[in-house]
Amino acid sequence: MTLAPDDDFAAAEYALGTLAPGERAMLAARRQREPELDAAIRAWEARLSPLAETAPAIEPPSDYLAAIEARIRAHAPAAPADAVALELRRRVSRWRAAAIAATSLAAMLAIGFIVRETTRAKVPHEYVAILQKDAGSPAFAVTVDLDSRSLTVRPVAAPTQSGKSYELWLIDAQVGAPRSLGVISAGAVTRAANLSGFDRGVVENATYAVTVEPLGGSPSGQPSGPPVFVGKLIPVGP
Amino acid sequence: MTIGADAPGTGAPTGVAGDLADLLRRVAARDRAAFAALYKQTSAKLYGVVVRILPRGDAAAEALQEAYVRIWEKAGDFDAAKGSPLAWMATIARNRALDEVRRVRPAFLEDLCEGFEPAADEVDPLASRERSEALAALLDCLKTLDDEKRGILLLAYYRGLSREALAKRFGRPVPTIKTWLHRSLAQLRDCLAT
Repeated sequence: MTLAPDDDFAAAEYALGTLAPGERAMLAARRQREPELDAAIRAWEARLSPLAETAPAIEPPSDYLAAIEARIRAHAPAAPADAVALELRRRVSRWRAAAIAATSLAAMLAIGFIVRETTRAKVPHEYVAILQKDAGSPAFAVTVDLDSRSLTVRPVAAPTQSGKSYELWLIDAQVGAPRSLGVISAGAVTRAANLSGFDRGVVENATYAVTVEPLGGSPSGQPSGPPVFVGKLIPVGP
Repeated sequence: MTIGADAPGTGAPTGVAGDLADLLRRVAARDRAAFAALYKQTSAKLYGVVVRILPRGDAAAEALQEAYVRIWEKAGDFDAAKGSPLAWMATIARNRALDEVRRVRPAFLEDLCEGFEPAADEVDPLASRERSEALAALLDCLKTLDDEKRGILLLAYYRGLSREALAKRFGRPVPTIKTWLHRSLAQLRDCLAT
């Protein structure tokens, strides 16, 4: 072994937990670039880890699993070039309290709060809707540029459907029945410019919903079933 | 609910450890249901590890939750040849707790020293009960240490106490604690290697 005895003892104390905070931080940094030190720490952890079996079994609070799943979703790596979804994820993951696992409304308000915190007070022209079925399980991110009325749909974590298509709908009381915005892909970004027929206010306030349809979209021009993912627009830009 | 993971002919681990190893494999493949099942089977044990080091509430929540996020992210790293799934997971939980305890007021550690009587509160690791081979080997090696030195080591492990807190607890100077820890750890290492 090429590791100095002092380093091996430091590794042992690191695994044990008795190093002073400064020493611990230094070793944590060193192990990133010193593989022998890293291996020594792991070896000591392995020697001591059977002691963990003697821990008493104590049930944690029942809401912890939901909070963990929310953290995992916030941490998940984004698809490449998925800039907006990634930025939203970063903002969400910085705000790691249990509230994100609460209600869908709270989650959306919280995302809006984080976004507003960091945008200067300008008139936003870019909006994003996170389409999800419940708090913390985003499936699609819809970006809308209100000036150009262009719409971009990015899959975030939507399960792929074989033999069926996802279809995006705009739902607003002013326009009456749901309006199709087209079939969207769970595996790639969909771009469309088909919001031009709607008023700015309608686009801004509508509910965006995704349903599962036969391949190619709804044959009737109306949703075949209830929405599986839903969201509303929140300003994010400029 | 235990699923007997008996896999004749493949040499796969059986019993609870086999279940956990299988769940970890599925978690590595991004199986969310497997992750929830893994959590249900292991969270009480991991929480037990964490609350021996941190107060319940925000600090323990942070450590336990971050531990499971790390388990989700690193499930593919688990190597069954190097130890049991629970030991691997408990080490992650313990490390998160140790990171968290450095952020807690030092005064808390003093309170911790005063408040607990290990004999009454701790599960006695030397009491006879069902234990893994690895734990049995480690306990045998721990028995070769004298009571005080073994007590210092175990308290450090279970409670995540610093040298200063241990020194105060055992009424010894900090350099002595450090020397004793090194000697005890070296003795353990040599014993386990035989």
